[in-house]
Amino acid sequence: MSKRLDTEKKRLHIGRIYLLLFVLCGLSVPSCLFAQRDAAHALMFGVGRSNQLDTYLSPMEYKGPQFTFLRETLRMTHWANERLSFQSLTQGAFSLTENPAQNANEYGGHIGYNAGWHYNWMPNRKFRLMMGGMLGADAGFLYNERNGNNPAQARLKADLALSLAGIYKFRMWRQTMAARYQADLPLLGCMFSPQFGQSYWEISQGNRDHNACFTSPGNALSFRQLLTFDISLGRRYTLRTGYFSDIRQSHVNGIKVHDISRSFLVGFVRHFSLIQDKERKEELIL
Amino acid sequence: MRFLSVLFATLAFLSCQKGIDDYNSSPEANLEALWEIIDQHYCFLDYKAAEIGLDWNAVRTAYLRKLSPGMSRTQLFEVLCDMLSELRDGHVNLYSSADVGRNWSWKEDYPDNLNTEVRDKYLGNDYKIAAGVKYRILDDNIGYILNESFINGFGEGNLDDVFHYMRLCNGLIIDVRCNGGGYLTYAERLSSRFTNEQILVGYNSHKTGPGHHDFSQPEAEYLRPSEGIRWQKKAIVLTNRGCFSATNTFVRNMKECPLVTILGDRTGGGGGMPFTSEIPIGWSVRFSACPSYDARMQQIEFGIEPDVTCSLNPKDVEEGHDTLIDTARQMLAK
Repeated sequence: MSKRLDTEKKRLHIGRIYLLLFVLCGLSVPSCLFAQRDAAHALMFGVGRSNQLDTYLSPMEYKGPQFTFLRETLRMTHWANERLSFQSLTQGAFSLTENPAQNANEYGGHIGYNAGWHYNWMPNRKFRLMMGGMLGADAGFLYNERNGNNPAQARLKADLALSLAGIYKFRMWRQTMAARYQADLPLLGCMFSPQFGQSYWEISQGNRDHNACFTSPGNALSFRQLLTFDISLGRRYTLRTGYFSDIRQSHVNGIKVHDISRSFLVGFVRHFSLIQDKERKEELIL
Repeated sequence: MRFLSVLFATLAFLSCQKGIDDYNSSPEANLEALWEIIDQHYCFLDYKAAEIGLDWNAVRTAYLRKLSPGMSRTQLFEVLCDMLSELRDGHVNLYSSADVGRNWSWKEDYPDNLNTEVRDKYLGNDYKIAAGVKYRILDDNIGYILNESFINGFGEGNLDDVFHYMRLCNGLIIDVRCNGGGYLTYAERLSSRFTNEQILVGYNSHKTGPGHHDFSQPEAEYLRPSEGIRWQKKAIVLTNRGCFSATNTFVRNMKECPLVTILGDRTGGGGGMPFTSEIPIGWSVRFSACPSYDARMQQIEFGIEPDVTCSLNPKDVEEGHDTLIDTARQMLAK
């Protein structure tokens, strides 16, 4: 009797563990809605140059080094006859720039998340063309070390972008390689901006003056490009090098802003697949 | 598809928001850049045109004539400072590594109405210091608070201790003579001890564009009563031409408080919150950007008139007396 009770308790316990794992999976991977046939997770770090202009702080363009990281997940879904892929892109950057006279510095940083869906065309086994849209949100700051009551600018924006990508896979030196180009063009969105001469002190006192601005290519022409080159390092890992160009601009409330950065990236891609066979390996998204 | 490819390729080379991206020590380029910053961002051009006959376009023409191609950096700095002096604004400065350009006529052209040696006799040696505030109780049971700057701040706890110490005094003198300003937060913190209800103290505005008339609708500014110990008896604020910027705002607030009298000279002014920018040679420029007004929507850029005008009498000074403090004590004793 006691043994039977123990077995039932054990079953109940295992059942709870399964339930907990199921809930945790659901929480940590919301994209479980999509079939995880195969997925690529990439983590890249980059160094480059940044050119910052914000006429709220200074009419001068500040230039200097920028450090970037990109975390990307790309996976196929069941949607659209298994031709729709999901991409998540987390991007962060920190820059330290100086004015042309080299006697003042600005410190800038931002972090953002983009979720995109692309329809995939595969005219042959080597080439994949992807087109779709990306939803993104980004927050950041730019601090000028010698300004008084206008020392910094807060950055906050969300947008919907048109996204286009192409992936070409080939073999060279007995290695599987892939080259990818992706370009994202924000089409509409909204962003925070103080009014032309509005102080953050006024904003902190509750003053509001068109601080949430609608954006489009007409007043915030921005453009993001990613060019990567992958070399396979075995079944699961791939070395990735890349070039990342991020042009952010806006002209709202009479304030001109640009943040133009170009970085060289290096990192690793890790492939996951639920179906581990040679045929599927050949069809991995990257 | 081809159209999209061409579109992306074209956009890759686009960058439309341009700033000044090169170091430039040319006198003309720097004067033009400085003139334009003031022309687009300075908030008192219209007001000063009406009050002192300032013609900012004429200023540009006049000062361009003073430039010469071979002039030194020091000479250029002098010319640019002279141009900014036309604004007669203590919040306007040009900063180079060697000097700070300024126009301090708001205080230098007027008597101080303050002799610190004489004032310090009232303070004695056994005064108390609560962060940025010095205080003591005078012989006739009048409290005396000296605040020389709103840069060195004080907390609510400091003020609670000060007002608790003064609680049995018959009246209070707050001496802010030659206080050149600092943080608005501290000015507001101190003045909030003198009202029991929310009161209108002024209005704030800001520029909405580069035009001289581009201003936002003025927004009312209210002084909320402090949750700490509040002063419930008569108080007198001592002022002179050295009261500037945040101190000017403090006096503006105190003028609206019940039981408070402003005694002394007109304040120095400084009614615009200053912003900072820079010119291609690397010099930093500070200028008034956001105007503030009093409760009757009057400009306070050129100072605030006291309720009771009082000047320092040289004869009193010779005898070791501060005319303003003595007058305030007599008024509070009544």
